[in-house]
Amino acid sequence: MTQSAMPQQRLYIEAVREGMEIPPLVKHPTQVALFRHSAVTWNAHRIHYDKEYAQAEGHTDVLVQGHLHGAYLVQMLMDWIGPFGVLKKFAWSNRRPGFAGDTLSCRGRVTRVYAEGGEHLADCEIWEENQHGEICAPGTATIALPSSGFRGT
Amino acid sequence: MTAESLITDELRAQIGVEHETLLGEITLLDIQRYALTVGDLNPLYFDEEYARQTPYGGIIAPPNYLTAVITWGLGPQEAELSVDGLGLRRNEQAERNARRRMAGGQQLEFHQPVRPGDVIRCVSRATDMEQREGKSGPFVLIIAEQRYFNQRDELLVTCRQTAIMR
Repeated sequence: MTQSAMPQQRLYIEAVREGMEIPPLVKHPTQVALFRHSAVTWNAHRIHYDKEYAQAEGHTDVLVQGHLHGAYLVQMLMDWIGPFGVLKKFAWSNRRPGFAGDTLSCRGRVTRVYAEGGEHLADCEIWEENQHGEICAPGTATIALPSSGFRGT
Repeated sequence: MTAESLITDELRAQIGVEHETLLGEITLLDIQRYALTVGDLNPLYFDEEYARQTPYGGIIAPPNYLTAVITWGLGPQEAELSVDGLGLRRNEQAERNARRRMAGGQQLEFHQPVRPGDVIRCVSRATDMEQREGKSGPFVLIIAEQRYFNQRDELLVTCRQTAIMR
């Protein structure tokens, strides 16, 4: 990152409606990405970097870390809400493994828009699916967004 | 058919007992290397000038960063790792011989952002235990909660997750 852009809010609460879709995020985890993710999270579990071992456990290739599925969903949410939005709550569960070489698409939609504790909030259902349309990681999130009357700090 | 209870009195007594772990200082490099491996180049994590002009007031870590790291501190020596590369958790009595259910997922609440230079402390406790019957015999689900605090004792993140013990 060499050049700073001015932070711009892309999403205000007024633009959010129940049922509205979150812009998808498509990820292509590679063996190198998974190895480096294991390294920085100090995760020695062999299924993430040793293909032979992963195959001995019945998998086709090295597995995407459970936390990386979550991180992809967080990335989608943070991209969507912008620098003036806040991720308040986030939950996900891993239902199906992802593998190096998969195309993993993060998606979601707004389920509820409301005000609470002086904040403008929205609940979302989110999920990550693979190239076969199978859901790997479903989840939920609550975000806080500025009102379009917001003038910044 | 009634299986014997794996939840001994000793194990049950661990419910609510708090264990504190010091994670040390979170550096800018830690945060950015993590975000890089996710492929998440959000300027909130990389561009101080940009981040300063947002309500965060400076670079923050990805919200799930603290809870994504499997082992804080040194971790086991290679000889102590089991064949699958996972070490035995030796610090917490309740999770002795427990294997983190990697596929479990987490429920996270974000109270305040994590910033470079923060010195983090994690307080964890088991909140509940439940015995289930699996295909390969009985197992115990341990519901655990971790709370992460910074050097000003401000609560940053609450994490709830389930560990499995066979």
